[in-house]
Amino acid sequence: MEILLQTLINGLLAAGVYALVASGLALAVGVVGIVNFAHGEFLMIGAFVSYFLFTAQGLDPLISLGAAALAAFAVGAISYYGLIRPVLAAPELNQMLLTFGLSIALQNLALLLFGADTRVVSPPYQGSTVSLLGLSFGLVPFASFVLSVALLSGLYWFLGRTRLGFAVRAVAQNRLAPGLLGIETQRVYLLAFGLSAALAGVAGVMLSVMLYASPTIGFAYTLKAFAIIVMAGLGNLRGVIPAAVVLAMAEAFVSTYVPGGGGWVEAVFFLVIFVSLTYRSWRFR
Amino acid sequence: MLKLNRLTKRFGGLVAVNEVSFEVRQGEIFAVIGPNGAGKSTLLNLISGLFAPDLGTLELLGKDLTQSPPEVRAWHGLGRAFQIVQPFAEMSVRENLLVGALFGKPGTPMSKAKAVVEEVLELTGLAPKADTPAHELTLLEDKRLELARALCTQPRLLLLDEVMAGLRPAEAMEAVELIKKIRASGVTVLFIEHLMPVVRALADRVVVMDYGQVIAEGTYAEVAANPRVREAYLGRSA
Amino acid sequence: MILAGVLLLFALILPALPLGSWQPFALDTAQFAFLLSGLALSWDLLARTGQLSLAHGAFFGLGAYTAALAAPALGTLPALLAGGVVAAAGSFLLGLATLRLHGMYFAIATLAFSEVMRTFVLKAGFTGGSIGMIVAPPFDGRFPLGGYYLAVTVLGLCVLTSYLVSRSRLSYAMAAIRQGEAVARVLGVPVVRVKLVAFLLSSALAGLAGGVYGMKTLFLSPYDAFSLGRAVEALVIPIFGGLYTTTGPLVGGLLLVGLETWLRLRIGEGYLVVYGVLLILAILFLPRGLVGWFSRRRGGRHA
Repeated sequence: MEILLQTLINGLLAAGVYALVASGLALAVGVVGIVNFAHGEFLMIGAFVSYFLFTAQGLDPLISLGAAALAAFAVGAISYYGLIRPVLAAPELNQMLLTFGLSIALQNLALLLFGADTRVVSPPYQGSTVSLLGLSFGLVPFASFVLSVALLSGLYWFLGRTRLGFAVRAVAQNRLAPGLLGIETQRVYLLAFGLSAALAGVAGVMLSVMLYASPTIGFAYTLKAFAIIVMAGLGNLRGVIPAAVVLAMAEAFVSTYVPGGGGWVEAVFFLVIFVSLTYRSWRFR
Repeated sequence: MLKLNRLTKRFGGLVAVNEVSFEVRQGEIFAVIGPNGAGKSTLLNLISGLFAPDLGTLELLGKDLTQSPPEVRAWHGLGRAFQIVQPFAEMSVRENLLVGALFGKPGTPMSKAKAVVEEVLELTGLAPKADTPAHELTLLEDKRLELARALCTQPRLLLLDEVMAGLRPAEAMEAVELIKKIRASGVTVLFIEHLMPVVRALADRVVVMDYGQVIAEGTYAEVAANPRVREAYLGRSA
Repeated sequence: MILAGVLLLFALILPALPLGSWQPFALDTAQFAFLLSGLALSWDLLARTGQLSLAHGAFFGLGAYTAALAAPALGTLPALLAGGVVAAAGSFLLGLATLRLHGMYFAIATLAFSEVMRTFVLKAGFTGGSIGMIVAPPFDGRFPLGGYYLAVTVLGLCVLTSYLVSRSRLSYAMAAIRQGEAVARVLGVPVVRVKLVAFLLSSALAGLAGGVYGMKTLFLSPYDAFSLGRAVEALVIPIFGGLYTTTGPLVGGLLLVGLETWLRLRIGEGYLVVYGVLLILAILFLPRGLVGWFSRRRGGRHA
């Protein structure tokens, strides 16, 4: 019983970061219409920003969050401006291949610059635990969860309550009409893509403490984010949170209950992608 | 030839095609008309198999094809020209037609298919453009290509979805003559059309749809005199 | 096609050329280039139906592991065939579930498939897991050039298949599906069957290339055989060389693998950065690849 409860809590805590990463991807897909394979690389950038600020300046990851968000936003915006914008009218597959190329380039550039080692950011509180209602869990996962919830609330508030957020949603609804309405579609795209990258960057900082920073860490999260947004329906931001919970819970259960578990966790997202895609393809004949 | 029995398609809460039944007879030219949004294009998608119906059955030449995918319907003699022209852009006109001629009837040898293509190129007046890449065609030529490609599948029943839309009157009349020629060669024709002069000139029988339902059936004169039809058109055309 | 023939002929006589101390290196590089060009040709075969596969690294790996595991019992050639068959079987299962998917959905599903295959090989006992496994050389090492000529044969097979398919009625079906699937179906093209045939052919060839690759490196690990790098090479080479052609992947493969070999010597692991950059540049500036660029400069023949 206690194991079950602990598994549920682990799943829920992991879901926060997942939802953060996947919401960023859903924003890029939903607003700009780009399935961004390089999304995880923005996360990787955030993780390395956190690592280098910590080792070189002794900055607490909590403070690095802002810097990582800015750095990822900048890289996202530059990528949009230099690479995505020229192919907005191109076939979907070309856009996808382009971001795939970007992902490969960034990932291997990091490999060239930093090597394949995994680097952990270990602030003094890294190993601390929190006790709540007779259960104990790590402070860092807990704080990450809380932070993710706060950021996602902020995102929803931005999209739902502000003028700019309304413009973003309007562009997502219809790629043509907002241009006619005088909203500067291009700037909204730029903003949405940058924001999407910034969300991933922030998640990268959290992972640099919870897990590690490495050139390949992003790719795993691209796949998880794909699994989530495919489950939610591409570009559907609302479905992201429940889908993130499903994926995280499934992984938590596999890791606890499947014998020899650990490694199989990496296969869970596949099952999720597979089931949702197959369901989709048979339903929409 | 073609027998629809209570064919129905819903999209969410909207019933786009609602229990539509009619029969198209061998050798006739049959028109489906109705205001915008009456469900005509959905009906064509149901007939050609791009949508699966929620209810009802479809028989082609005495065979129940309700559950068959589009390619199987094509093999049973169903051809279709799309309203929005969709040429294979990277191919030449001749190659576009060859796809229809090769696969419209399974097992057609290449030599036979090529002969069919040349015949159809002549019939539709596309011969001078045979080697032009499809993406370089004008709209009129695109429309001809659409029709020609469907003809290359050697259909028994040809579905035409507003093939006259966007044509000038003289061009439309040319197309009318072409469709008459096609019928004379033994092909039954079912078409959707907005231009009433075309319907009057071509159709042996007409079905009128409104809000997904058939509201009238008969000759052009009969349906034109029908008060429900007048109401359906006048009620919304303003 | 003349170019392809000349290249293959050159491949046959390469071991006889007086290269002196460079010979082992030249043959090794050439063998690797042939196998990757073969992989690229196989990827292009599927791409002709408009399906963008990110699973070709996995088919390559499946072939490599199957051939390596089967070789002691079956002998070299049957083991290689078994590798092709197993890769094809994998694609059949994947295909049944995913060939109805379009565009990015298909690509994502194939990517997920390849990640899971790697996980499976890592976790399974008989594959040596993360430690990897030692592979016997082809024909028990009796012919020093056996592996080299196997690679030439596989490349020849891939070139021939690619060429024959582009001359057959299948090519019309593939191009039609790629350029408008719904229209193709209405015209009577058996879309699912054509895609499945393309998938089977493509993955079987990828599996064959993988099998020879394993016997060349003499050692397999999931990180190498199932690496995403293979999938990247499989798609960047045709895109860079020229999609939907036989010459494009062939020329692209020889050029890029040459470049890759040089880069591996100079910068090691991050060499894939070049593939990423080339992919971006090709999408932005070379939509028809090298082959298309050359034929346009020579007076614009439409492929």
